[in-house]
Amino acid sequence: MHKELVDLINSNIPEAKAVFNEATDPKADASITVEASSILKLASWLRTNDHMPFNVLQCISGVDYLEYMEVCYILAHFDLNTPRELILKVKLTDRVNPNLDSIVEVYPAADFQERECYDMFGVSFNNHPDHRRILCPDDWKGFPLRKDYVPAKDYNGMLVYPDNKMNFEDREFIVRQNMIKKAQEKASES
Amino acid sequence: MQDGVVLTTVDEFLNWGRKNSLWPMTFGLACCAIEMMATGAAKYDLERFGCGAFMATPRRADMMIVAGTVTLKMATRVKVLYEQMAEPKYVISMGSCSNKGGPYWQWGYHVLNGVDEVVPVDVYVPGCPPRPESLIEGVMTLQKKIANERLLRNKWVKHA
Repeated sequence: MHKELVDLINSNIPEAKAVFNEATDPKADASITVEASSILKLASWLRTNDHMPFNVLQCISGVDYLEYMEVCYILAHFDLNTPRELILKVKLTDRVNPNLDSIVEVYPAADFQERECYDMFGVSFNNHPDHRRILCPDDWKGFPLRKDYVPAKDYNGMLVYPDNKMNFEDREFIVRQNMIKKAQEKASES
Repeated sequence: MQDGVVLTTVDEFLNWGRKNSLWPMTFGLACCAIEMMATGAAKYDLERFGCGAFMATPRRADMMIVAGTVTLKMATRVKVLYEQMAEPKYVISMGSCSNKGGPYWQWGYHVLNGVDEVVPVDVYVPGCPPRPESLIEGVMTLQKKIANERLLRNKWVKHA
């Protein structure tokens, strides 16, 4: 199904430059990678075309690969005869300030999903009707699900890690701190 | 005539009245709230201890049961709710999360490590989540605490 769809996308929207990603594992799913600049046009085509329409947006999520940021869309079509699901991936080369077109006007379900993606990964969506944080407080600093995120020491005077309640010599804690440090170094290199 | 006379101290009389009408606030933060609701419902029946009347406003409540994970975003609100309650007021911290952060105490970037960072806690109920029996035990512990109080010499009355 994915291979068929790649050909369809490339013939209808050539600027999307769709690439088919084979599933590397029998348990994994195949996916399609497209260009970030074409996402709005592609989404409206995917929703309205006659060959293979997708009328449901199930999920938008972000992935931090340290060298680049990736946004995944999971689209689906609930048809009794031919139910199908598509994993659409968009690679964003600017990791620090990723930027992408919003698809809210095509799929209204994208509203909260994009806000969550912005909240957790800092991906900003152009032309989003209500572009602010959804889970964290409005005055929160940083984007928590990025690999190089360091938890703040305090928030509005409340200590996140009070000294009298923490065991800073705990092995797992040190391992975690080292992981964050390594990720930060890697992010600053790239 | 003998049956009609009851002798007691003022303190004991006041404490007896207060400990048997502890009204909690309707207020749940996470999955512990489900156990709190079960405790309030017919099978475990918190009303037997006089604290089944869950009040929908902090101004009518005597006791706050912090049931669930206190995130940093919520901690500000918990503090405001506590300050809105009329004195004397009591806090039961229910479950591992509000006792000490629970599973988030080390990795959680967004969870307060124990609600006692923002409000004074009287009774800690351990468990994840605690069974209704545990919460009832916690309420009874608080009742014992209230029974030994001396309200008229209490800091709240002194400074009132």
